[in-house]
Amino acid sequence: MDLVRDLLDKRVVDRNGRDMGRVDAVILELRGGASPRVAAIEIGPAVLASRVHPTLGRWVAALEHAFAVDDGRPTRIAVGGILDITDRVKVDCAFGETPASSVERRLRAWIGAIPGSS
Amino acid sequence: MSAILDLVLGIITSIGGFVEAGSISTAAAAGSEFGFQLLWAIAAATVMLAMLIEMSGRLAAVSGQSMAAAVRERFGIHFHAIPLTAELLIDLLLLAAEIGGVAIAVKLLTGIGFQWWVVPIGIAGWLVLWSFGFGLIEYGVGLLGLVTLSFVVAAWQLQPDTSSLAASLVPSMPTHDYVRYAFLSVSILGATVSPYLLNFYSSGAVEEQMTERQLWVNRATAYAGICFGGVVSMGALVTSALVLGPRGILADSYEQTALMFVPAFGNWAIALFALSLGIGCFGAAVEISLNAGYVFAQAFGWSWGANRPRRDAARFTSAFTLVLLAAAAVAVIGLDPLRLTMISVALTVVIMPMIVLPFLVLMNDEKYVKSHTSGPVGNAFLAALTLLGALLAIVVIPLEILGG
Repeated sequence: MDLVRDLLDKRVVDRNGRDMGRVDAVILELRGGASPRVAAIEIGPAVLASRVHPTLGRWVAALEHAFAVDDGRPTRIAVGGILDITDRVKVDCAFGETPASSVERRLRAWIGAIPGSS
Repeated sequence: MSAILDLVLGIITSIGGFVEAGSISTAAAAGSEFGFQLLWAIAAATVMLAMLIEMSGRLAAVSGQSMAAAVRERFGIHFHAIPLTAELLIDLLLLAAEIGGVAIAVKLLTGIGFQWWVVPIGIAGWLVLWSFGFGLIEYGVGLLGLVTLSFVVAAWQLQPDTSSLAASLVPSMPTHDYVRYAFLSVSILGATVSPYLLNFYSSGAVEEQMTERQLWVNRATAYAGICFGGVVSMGALVTSALVLGPRGILADSYEQTALMFVPAFGNWAIALFALSLGIGCFGAAVEISLNAGYVFAQAFGWSWGANRPRRDAARFTSAFTLVLLAAAAVAVIGLDPLRLTMISVALTVVIMPMIVLPFLVLMNDEKYVKSHTSGPVGNAFLAALTLLGALLAIVVIPLEILGG
């Protein structure tokens, strides 16, 4: 597998097919003299922004902190939690139970209060 | 039967949704200053748009992905951050210009200053986005937009010389003001090939679950709909050339531009122009806002879709709401909507290579479009026109600004 071509930036869905985000980072485990191994994938705007530029990553992290949505983010999913990789990466968790959904949940609470939202 | 209905509706909505602030203002300016001479620019830009729209539908039908999603996946965030930021900034300006265009249209009908209408128009646009699914938004905008056919009717009634029209489809050098001529050519290209249209169309195809079996519908809709739409733009240029040009009236404000309808429609002229401008711009404003939601959601992997309950795609809903709010804030400042339009469409051409060239790479990648890759002639035509347009824009925009 070519990690950049086949994994990084790919769409991530939960076990129910719900959109969770994209693979914003791939965590590699270094093993002495052996070749590195994929340990986990990460989802989160701060880690994504840090790929563009570390300063941007710090700004986004500060913004998440200011809005109190930084708890547990970025969302890290161990490689064992990946169910399959096709045109998207399917992972063994429920979106609503992960920190990746904190912004969506907060906005959903506000939007849900407006008539006609459902 | 359903495919035929899709085809007919698709063509009608493409025609009705073609003309908006950019195409009206650039075509009117070109006609009033250079007669029919810039008709070729509309023709070339229309062919380019039809090809790109067909490709964006093909991408969606074969890969199930919209353009923004595929670009993020194929090129990564390092690259995608650049066209994403550029497109969103241009879309923001263009959206402010479209809202301003609607506000001017209402001003023409009521006589009340256009800034008073910006907030109500923003709210009306948001209510449409909040209340309707993709089909209703697209078909509603397109069907109401058929009022813009009045540009074609006006041109028809003025009985232009057909041999002059045909001759103008071949590019020629102007007899005066080369910089302005080049600037207007670039602006026509930017007004016609708006980047938002490409992602909007591919997102719509994903929403409507277009499949490979419908590729012929996609092709027919794109080419027939867009080319007929181009005729509406040409109608605006021809009407302006026959009415404004000979009288020495410059289309430097929408109020002046509206006068082009007077010989054809008499007492109804201003009302009909206002309706054409207002509905055209309102439709574009709704589509640009919705596309902003699509772009953010697809780039970052959020739930999205105009056919979903809004609370089930909360970040997508928030994104189009915030972009609409930001554009309304720009529009309410009181910048001249026509000037804002001209700046936005010219800048569009500068960023076009960032949007079109990666898209061409995608359309030649079998991982995304399987055996339905684009041909070498189409690739070369689109790449050449995009790069030439951008180079010309980089040269003429500063010259146009320096020349006032």
